[in-house]
Amino acid sequence: MFDMVTGYCSAEVLGHNCRFLQCRGPFAKRRHPLVDPTVVAEIRRCLEEGIEFQGELLNFRKDGSPLMNRLRMTPIYGDDDTITHILGVQYFADAKLDLGPLPGSLTKKFTQTSQKLRFNSSPHGIASNMNHNSSCGVCALMQLSDEVLVLKILSRLTPRDIASVSSVCRQLYDLTKNEDLWRMVCQNAWGSETTRVLETVPGAKRLGWGRLAREITTLEAAAWSKLTVGGIVEPSRCNFSACAVGNRVVLFGGEGVNMQPMNDTFVLDLNSSNPEWQHVIVGSPPPGRWGHTLSCVNGSHLVLFGGCGRQGLLNDVFVLDLDAKHPTWREISSLAPPLPRSWHSSCTLDGTKLIVSGGCADSGVLLSDTFLLDLSMEKPVWREIPVSWTPPSRLGHTLSVYGGRKILMFGGLAKSGPLRFRSSDVFTMDLSEDEPCWRSVTGSGMPGAGNPGGVAPPPRLDHVAVSLPGGRILIFGGSVAGLHSASQVYILDPTEEKPTWRLLNVPGRPPRFAWGHSTCVVGGTRAIVLGGQTGEEWMLSELHELSLASCHLI
Amino acid sequence: MSSSTELTEKKVFLLKSLDGVIFEVEESVAVQLEVIRELIEGDCARPFISLYNVTSEILALVIEYCKHHAETCSGGTSATIADEDLKTFDNEFMNVDENILLELCSAADYLDIKSLFELTCRTLASLIKDRTIIEVRKMFNVENDFSVVEEKAVRKEFAWAFK
Repeated sequence: MFDMVTGYCSAEVLGHNCRFLQCRGPFAKRRHPLVDPTVVAEIRRCLEEGIEFQGELLNFRKDGSPLMNRLRMTPIYGDDDTITHILGVQYFADAKLDLGPLPGSLTKKFTQTSQKLRFNSSPHGIASNMNHNSSCGVCALMQLSDEVLVLKILSRLTPRDIASVSSVCRQLYDLTKNEDLWRMVCQNAWGSETTRVLETVPGAKRLGWGRLAREITTLEAAAWSKLTVGGIVEPSRCNFSACAVGNRVVLFGGEGVNMQPMNDTFVLDLNSSNPEWQHVIVGSPPPGRWGHTLSCVNGSHLVLFGGCGRQGLLNDVFVLDLDAKHPTWREISSLAPPLPRSWHSSCTLDGTKLIVSGGCADSGVLLSDTFLLDLSMEKPVWREIPVSWTPPSRLGHTLSVYGGRKILMFGGLAKSGPLRFRSSDVFTMDLSEDEPCWRSVTGSGMPGAGNPGGVAPPPRLDHVAVSLPGGRILIFGGSVAGLHSASQVYILDPTEEKPTWRLLNVPGRPPRFAWGHSTCVVGGTRAIVLGGQTGEEWMLSELHELSLASCHLI
Repeated sequence: MSSSTELTEKKVFLLKSLDGVIFEVEESVAVQLEVIRELIEGDCARPFISLYNVTSEILALVIEYCKHHAETCSGGTSATIADEDLKTFDNEFMNVDENILLELCSAADYLDIKSLFELTCRTLASLIKDRTIIEVRKMFNVENDFSVVEEKAVRKEFAWAFK
C-alpha cells in the first residue's frame, strides 16, 4: 500500500526514518522548503514528551509530486511506564501544489508561496523576490537539514557569529530568522539562568530573542525613566536593603528616626498595572537592622545577612520564601559564621549560594574576607574562601557575578595604610578554580598616573553594579569623590584580555542619586533605583529605572 | 548480546553505499549505527542493507570511526585511557576538508550515530565561530546572492554586530 501511494518500494524504505518523505524525490538531501518546520518541530516535541501527535505534514512521492500526510503518532507504554513502541498511522491525500517539474529550477509560483513560509518576514524586504533562480544552490552548508544546521550547529555560536552567518547568502539569511535559534544563542552567550530570568519579563518575549541579543550587545536602547508608584513605606527610613525577586522589588528593614533599627518587609510588584508598595505581614521577623544585605536565592527566596541592630553588629542569616502561603522568616544557624558586620557586600552564585565579602566590623575595623554559604544544602554551612592575598579591606563596595562563577569586586571605601579612601579598583576571582584567588584588573592607581584602563569611573562607595548578560558590568551612582555626576554610567567587560572602562551615554531622566543599598536589578535588564532625592529624604513613591532593552512594563 | 556470539563466530553485516560499494562490518561496529541496530533487531538486515544517502567515500570514514570506537570501548584499557584515546582519535578524525565534514555530519544524522553527529556538529560550529562573512563564504563555497540593495540592507541590519 505504502509502495503504491509513495512510489518507493519496500526495499528502499524498510528500516528508514520516514523523514525522507519530506525530501522531494530520492536524490534530494534536504527537506523541501515548503514542508512546515513548525509541524516537524511539533512532532519532535511530542516524541520527546511521550505524547500523541496529530497533524498534517507535506510529503513527496518518489516522482516528486506532493502528498499531504495526515499523521497520527501514538506512544505505546510498557509495564514500567517506558515507551516501548510508537504507533504511526498515515493517511495520504493529494496536495494541491504546483511545484513545476522535479529537476527544474524554482518557478515564480514557488517563489510567491515560499515567502509566506519564511520564519519571519524581513524588515527590509530582503530576499523578497528570488527571481535569481537559485544561484545559491551551491551553498555546501545547505546539504544539512534545516534542523541540524540551525538547532545543532548555529545554536552553538554567539550573536555576532549569527550576524555574520546571516549576511552570507539569502538562504542563510532566511534560516537565521528563527526565534528558537536566537533563544539558544542567547542562552549560550548569557547562560541559561539569565535567559530564564529574561523569560519572566513580559516585554522580553514581545521583543524577540534576536532583537534582545542586539540590544543587549549594543546597549542602544538603554534609557533612564522616572516612575511614580502608589502605596507608602512607613515609618520613613534610610539604610534599608532592596532586592528583586522576579519582577517584585522587596525592601527590608532600615534605619528609622533616632537610629531605630527596623524589621518590616515591603513588596512592590512591577507586574501590576498600578504598582504600589505593600507592607507584607510575615511570620517571625528577624531583629531590626540597617546596613545589612538582602539577596535572592533559589528563585523566590530572600536571604538576609548581617547589618547593625539594636545591640550592635550582627552575623545572623534569615531566609524567607516570598511565594509561600504564609511567608515566614526562618533563621539559618550555621557553625563558624563570618564576623558580625555592616555595609558589607553580597551576591548570589549559581542562584543558590550567598557570597559575602568585607564590611565594617566592631569598632570600625574594615574587613577583607570572603565567605560562601550554600543555601541549597539542607544544613547550610559557612565556608571562608581561603586566599593567599586579599584586596585592601573595604566597605560599601559591590560584588557582581559574571561568566557563570566569576565574581568582580569594585570600589568601596578601602583601607590604605592608616587612611581610608574611596576606591575605583577592580578585582576578580574565579570560584570555579580549585584554588580561587583575587586578581587585580584595573585600578585608579596613584593620582596623576596614566590610566591604561580607559575612562574609569571616579572612586566611590555605596554605588550600583549591574551584571549584564554576557559578562559586562555597569557601574553608576554611589558616594562619588569630587564633583562627578553620580548618574553617569560606566561599562567594563572583564572577559576582555585587557578590560577597558567606557562611558555609556544613556538618554532620559537619570536620578540625581543612586545608592547601592536602595537599588536592585529586575529581570536582568532593568535597574530600579528607589527614591532618594537627597539621600536624606527618602521618597519611595518615586523611582528611576535604567532599562537596558526597549521593553517597558509600566 | 554480542559477547556470546563473539566466542562462536563473529556476525557480519553487509552495508551498500549509494554508489553500490558493499562494506562488510562486524556486528559490534554495525550496531553503533542506530538505524542498522533497529534493522538487525527487526531481522531485516539480510542480504545487505542499502544506505541511499551515503557515498562509499563517506561510508568508509563512518565505518572507520565506528570501528575505532567499538575497539577502544571493548578493549581492556581503563576508562580514562580509553577516553583520552578516543579524544585524540576524534580530533584527528575531524581534521578533514569542510565538505567531507558536512557529508559526515549529514551521514551521522541519517545513520543515527549520536557521538559522531555531536562531534561533527561541534566541529562545524567551531569552524564558523569568529569568522568574517567572507571567510564563511569561502570555506563553504557559498555564493553571495544578495543584490547590491539587499546587501546594503543586510549590512545595515547587522551593523550592530560588527562595531
